[in-house]
Amino acid sequence: MRRVAIVGTGLTKWGVRNATYKELVQEAGKDLFDDVPNLDKKHVDSLFVGSALVDRLAFQAYPAPLVAEQLGLTPSRMVMRTEMACVSGQSAIRVAWASIVAGLSDVAVVVGAEKMNTPNMAETQASMACVLDREWDGVNGLNAPPYFALIAQRHMHEYGTTEEQLAEVSVKNHDYAATNPYAHYPKRVSREKVLSSAKIAPPLKLLDCSGITDGAAAVLMTHEGLAKKYTDTPVFVEGLGQAQSGSLVVNLESLTTWHPLRRAAQEAFKMAGVTIRDMDLAETHDCFTISEIMEYEDLGLCEKGQGGQFVMDGQSRIGGTLPTNLRGGLLGCGHPLGATGVAQAIEIVRQFKAQVPEDRYVGGEWGLCHNLSGNANNHALMVLRRGG
Amino acid sequence: MGEPQEWHFAFDFYPLQSPEHTRIWPFFQHLKEGRLTTTRCAKCSSLLWQPRVVCPHCNADAMEWVDLPRHGRIYAFTAVYAGAPLGLEKDVPFVVAIVELDGVPVKVVARIDEARYEDLKIGDPVTLKIVELADGRVWFRFVPTGKPSSPA
Ligand SMILES: [Zn+2]
Repeated sequence: MRRVAIVGTGLTKWGVRNATYKELVQEAGKDLFDDVPNLDKKHVDSLFVGSALVDRLAFQAYPAPLVAEQLGLTPSRMVMRTEMACVSGQSAIRVAWASIVAGLSDVAVVVGAEKMNTPNMAETQASMACVLDREWDGVNGLNAPPYFALIAQRHMHEYGTTEEQLAEVSVKNHDYAATNPYAHYPKRVSREKVLSSAKIAPPLKLLDCSGITDGAAAVLMTHEGLAKKYTDTPVFVEGLGQAQSGSLVVNLESLTTWHPLRRAAQEAFKMAGVTIRDMDLAETHDCFTISEIMEYEDLGLCEKGQGGQFVMDGQSRIGGTLPTNLRGGLLGCGHPLGATGVAQAIEIVRQFKAQVPEDRYVGGEWGLCHNLSGNANNHALMVLRRGG
Repeated sequence: MGEPQEWHFAFDFYPLQSPEHTRIWPFFQHLKEGRLTTTRCAKCSSLLWQPRVVCPHCNADAMEWVDLPRHGRIYAFTAVYAGAPLGLEKDVPFVVAIVELDGVPVKVVARIDEARYEDLKIGDPVTLKIVELADGRVWFRFVPTGKPSSPA
């Protein structure tokens, strides 16, 4: 099987951007192509575009050809858009990997992009609510924040997790976002500030939630034989896993245990031949504070129900069991749906290349990316390894 | 004056409910009669939620309509204070919950009317309430059992 590497990265500034979807794509493309000066764009034979809600939020269907034109690419082998809501980004990397392994692609550009801020926030929220089954869940006013609030309430009810523990996830991730120039919220926050932030859907408050953010991210991927042409430090995709279960909220296996995450993690680690204990750092999908707490548990970093204590003990900070979300996570960077999964991979790559500020540099050899979507009914994981 | 700008989309959050749009139109007819119903597979007897036209367990396409309990208990709840989707902005704050129906292995997501978040707790009993929309479509919510407007 061909080994596949990420050999170049590109990011835009994330935030409420005075820029369209297409302009964000151009910015990410510029940053990527500047990063791989040896790339002749004619050699890019494939393009994968991860965008979740471009149809609704930019009123634009069929984005892949449009993205190709923005980037000056004329892919001759594989072109597609991946749509898996918040996992659209890692899905794009995943199909690029599969296409390169299969020999259908040799040099692929992967773009994750989302323009979330529209002139009508209620319309943006309505589009987000359609990620759930619109007719049976969304119709009741259920959307991501109230849905994850139900999870948080049950987790508190079943395991005694506290609002202070939830808040600590936000404090940690904002600490790391503070030195990330790409982040939407590059500012430290105190636990008191999180706890007293605006009520959104109790027990979740504003600073328990990731933001409505515009942004794009792009990577260049190729096989081992070509990798060194583009970088001295290729980062190899050594393991992948994805599992999905259920759609309707009431038909999920569990609210407080993410069984698909456990299955996907098992698959990814088995393929890479390592365990969670081998990871030097991780990017996990902290769309809400409760999410990161459940990720510690379902990744096996601590006992079920102990995720709150894990973050309070500093175990997910630098120096702890597994430094997690060092770019600032979704809480600190914001969450432009399709861009998130790609940006998570970029953080691992830039860590391995020592391209991040010193105070949040960990580096190392092994990194984990975890991306979830919808009502957490789909989880995708990727194990990355520094080459070179 | 510029060009007149008029739009409207075919969809809002509520399902299309008439026989020309959906094969589960009896569900909505039953709601109008005050009944919460769903389909049970005529072959393998699986109780299915949401109502289905093909059984995901045995692949049969013969379904029978069965009544669900009008009472249940709150399994989890929250309230939407901000960030409500289009059409619901004026309703905030409103309570949304997962309700475990009494005596059957079915949970449903529904809004809880006539209740404040602060006054509820997990396990509280709730009773079905039918809501009629201006265009004649219907939907279901719950209210805390014992509220004056709670049907017996
Ligand atoms: Zn059946």
